[in-house]
Amino acid sequence: MTLPITRPPSPGGARLLLASVLVVATCGLVYELLSATMTSYLLGDSITQFSLVIGVYLSAMGLGSWLSKGIERDLYDRFVVVQLVVAVVGGTSALALFFGYAHLASVRPLLFAILAIVGTMVGLEIPILIRILKDGDELKDLVARVLAFDYLGALLASLLFPLALLPTLGLVRTGFLFGGFNAVVAAACAIAFRDRLRRPRALVVASLTIAAALALGLAVGGRLERIAEEELFDAPLVRSEKSAYQRLSITRDGDDVRLYIDGNLQFSSLDEHRYHEALVHPALGEASPRRVLVLGGGDGLALREILKHPEVASIDLVDLDPLMTDLFTRDPLLRELNGGSLADPRVKVHNADAMTWLEGHLRGGGAAYDAILIDLPDPNNFSLGKLYSGPFYRLVGRALAPGGSGVVQSTSPLLSPRAFWCVVATLEAAGLHPRPYHTHVPTFGDWGFVLLSHDERPTPSRLADVELRYLDEATLASLFIFPRDQQPADVEPNRLGDQLLVHYYEEDLRALNQSRRRVH
Amino acid sequence: MPTKRSRAFPRRAFLGSAAASGLVGLACGAGPAPPAGPPLIELVGPDPARGHLLRDGGLDGPIARSEDHAIVIVGAGAAGLAAAWRLWRAGFDDYVVVELEDAIGGTARSGELPRSPHPMGAHYLPAPHPECRALEALLDDLGLVLGRDAAGRAEYLPSAQVCAPEDRHFRGHRWHEGLYPGEGEDAAEAEAHARWRDHLAALDRRGSDGRRLFRLPVARSSAQLRGLDRITMAEHLQNLGVDPGAWRLRWAIDYACRDDYGCTIDQVSAFAGLHYHLARGLDDHRPILTWPGGNGHLVRSIAERVDLAPRLRTGTAALAIDPDAGEVITHRLLDGERRRLRARAILWAAPRFVLPRLLPPGRDPLPRGALTYAPWLVASVEVDRRPRGLGAPPAWDNVPIDHTSLGYVVATHGEDRSETRPGAVLTYYEPLPGADAEALAARRRELLEADAATLAARVEAGLSVMHPGIGGAIRRMAITRWGHAMIRPVPGLLFGDALALARAPIGRLRPCATDVAGLPLFEEAFYAGAGAAEAALAELGRAGQTLIADDLEA
Repeated sequence: MTLPITRPPSPGGARLLLASVLVVATCGLVYELLSATMTSYLLGDSITQFSLVIGVYLSAMGLGSWLSKGIERDLYDRFVVVQLVVAVVGGTSALALFFGYAHLASVRPLLFAILAIVGTMVGLEIPILIRILKDGDELKDLVARVLAFDYLGALLASLLFPLALLPTLGLVRTGFLFGGFNAVVAAACAIAFRDRLRRPRALVVASLTIAAALALGLAVGGRLERIAEEELFDAPLVRSEKSAYQRLSITRDGDDVRLYIDGNLQFSSLDEHRYHEALVHPALGEASPRRVLVLGGGDGLALREILKHPEVASIDLVDLDPLMTDLFTRDPLLRELNGGSLADPRVKVHNADAMTWLEGHLRGGGAAYDAILIDLPDPNNFSLGKLYSGPFYRLVGRALAPGGSGVVQSTSPLLSPRAFWCVVATLEAAGLHPRPYHTHVPTFGDWGFVLLSHDERPTPSRLADVELRYLDEATLASLFIFPRDQQPADVEPNRLGDQLLVHYYEEDLRALNQSRRRVH
Repeated sequence: MPTKRSRAFPRRAFLGSAAASGLVGLACGAGPAPPAGPPLIELVGPDPARGHLLRDGGLDGPIARSEDHAIVIVGAGAAGLAAAWRLWRAGFDDYVVVELEDAIGGTARSGELPRSPHPMGAHYLPAPHPECRALEALLDDLGLVLGRDAAGRAEYLPSAQVCAPEDRHFRGHRWHEGLYPGEGEDAAEAEAHARWRDHLAALDRRGSDGRRLFRLPVARSSAQLRGLDRITMAEHLQNLGVDPGAWRLRWAIDYACRDDYGCTIDQVSAFAGLHYHLARGLDDHRPILTWPGGNGHLVRSIAERVDLAPRLRTGTAALAIDPDAGEVITHRLLDGERRRLRARAILWAAPRFVLPRLLPPGRDPLPRGALTYAPWLVASVEVDRRPRGLGAPPAWDNVPIDHTSLGYVVATHGEDRSETRPGAVLTYYEPLPGADAEALAARRRELLEADAATLAARVEAGLSVMHPGIGGAIRRMAITRWGHAMIRPVPGLLFGDALALARAPIGRLRPCATDVAGLPLFEEAFYAGAGAAEAALAELGRAGQTLIADDLEA
């Protein structure tokens, strides 16, 4: 078999090709790191993601190198085309993964497709280059030079990515930037070697167009990342702010305003009244509270319900995050939802950890509360688990007036039954009398609460005479009924020293995910 | 409050080598940039030079003035402060406390790094068994008891309790929950472990004299099993038929001995070794009380509660004691001023081995070397990111299986959710056990003669066993060298003649530091100090209601 003759490049052209080896190698590793970081970010378990990405990428490179033997003609054309494919696929990979995560059932096939294409193309490049350059040099010098540049590029990428690119550009724009580099290399080669190309004009135009498109992407990449984030929330994002503690994202789709904390739904304005009426009114209906304490609830929605009770004279609200309470005090849209409750003169906001604040309150000899409402995020980590522990409920008991009532939001008795019943058991072990109940909140599913009091009391049967959208006295009685398949689980109370609740919560959710996977 | 660091003997050293651990920070490029430069290494805690003042003599001079006090307490550690608390409880304030160091605390002393306070020595106290009513009363006075539950048990302030995860161990490049290296154990080892737990369960009871077999203070344990104090823990395990190949169980038991006593199972008495597990009862979800500054918090709280400041003399050495005349000669290190303190009772709440140097020759009945002490290296390390590692999540107590150190305790573990600063303060603990006096002296020299850089490198190496590359995250290190950190409960000590002699009154003086109790525990220091104060009050004709003896028959 005779190969068609490829004209060797001029010395200047050879230098350009070697420089492009460096760029190509850097870009290749950057795409690999982008994909691994992106999937770690979206799917968690970074060790699995990194090793899968490296494995697939390297084997695709091997495939590319092997396939290069099938390329017999038009080496310059092929080299430029390969560059362009890498520029487009690699350059947009981070953005594609973002959108893929939002829209696809699984992001893995997309990830593997990107890795296979980029890896194969990068695998093709080096053999093609060596063949283009082979007539100018001795083989030993050529291989030494090309591979040295190749590995140098890898080093460059591995240093730049974590130190400079990720902190300054973020994932999406890093992709665009390096895609741009690939396109520029393609354009430079297309121009420098136009007399050796079969279709010089088409390739020059394509290279420049792609480079320009990627540059545009780089310019608007920040906004694209925001749109991509919106895709994760399935509704337009109207606000997204990050505090020292968490990211708060507000979406709006017509009447449906939603709050997400770190991507987890906190409420939907369509049905939050069900949640907040069920949280507040059973406890408040029992007592005629003058002094009320709210732990958590920085969105002011529980406050809105509490303030419907005319006898309430003062409310202390303790929420960790000042950004949360500020946002729900200032933002007109959110203020409309909570009725401006956070700015009510009866309300005093304290931005502190609930346990620390409560200890300080008791130590300072603060007066007891007639009602205490605990509306904290689910116990998905140890620092939140503390706020569901026996010693914490002991503090709550001490802050609760003798005839007072309280309530704890206590996760879903359907989705995490052991966690729910663990809250009940913990309250009981802390010397409080618990009365569990639950309600249906469409965006959440079946949701659980526990009423607490010092003395044993019957199931509440009356509500205060306030305006309600969801609860009436017949419904109230029904909340305290648990059907056969939701009977108490056999659990230990949540102690500070072992925090079984956090384990129960994790295990319940894991079991749930597994059973869902089996169903689908 | 006196300064946490020695002013009279400034010892600071900058260290380059500990920082040269390379490009560790790479993977977290998005984090805030750490301050540049090498970590700041500092030697803190008791100053060996001061301790040696007495040994080496040469502090002569005229007496500037004489004072009369009913009681003089020498030593402001846990025992001395427990004595002060007992006097305060009796409404008695005619006493002074003399402390050699510039800060109170003794082995419970704490220091400050920019990120957080940290312990220099002891860092926790298990919530007391209900039978320890006097200790409970102290904690109540310090505002640590919120109230009592329906069964009358004390409820402790949640922020003072260690929260989950409490502990984890490092083995085979991975962290595992708890402190028993159970992963991969075979049936024989599992059985040995189960038998050991059964053995402990069988010993968790009262003896024929009605006292619990193991309790606090140890002197009040039942007399029934005291024979176990004559053999070592290793011999006891052999007698129990624990297979020498059951390394997991042996490690866990040895770890407990090193942790509490600075001794291996070959060195410690079986009674002491069992006492660790049984003194507070088994299977009781008893909380552990701790603070960022460790037990320094307890000691400072006592000082504040009893308004110690007007009666406290820090930076002051007791040079000589006449136990029969009730005289203590003190020497203020700052200006050399000497005073003669005349007292009707002297409470020696300082290490017992120092006492003969102050007494008239031949006045100490205790033979030299009758008590032995374990040296320890403790270092608090400020890191700019909290180390995690593979496997079980970061815990309060983090212990390596294959290392001479006991790992580290996270001083910042109890921070609440409002804390947003990155990093942590890790307190590294390494006992330096030795088989006999000679070996211990060699280990003590190894500790006291090393310079700051050598010790810092040792600490970094110890932490690197668990967290390779942690050197790059270290910003500061506060190293404490304890030449005589704790009494060693070797066979024969607890119920033998030496300890009885060590705590016997000498004229008007009562030795009452932790060491004369035989076990290096806060509880022992408390009962020794408070008990001596109560006895002194009785001698002064101020005997009131006893707080301490109540606990006897509980």
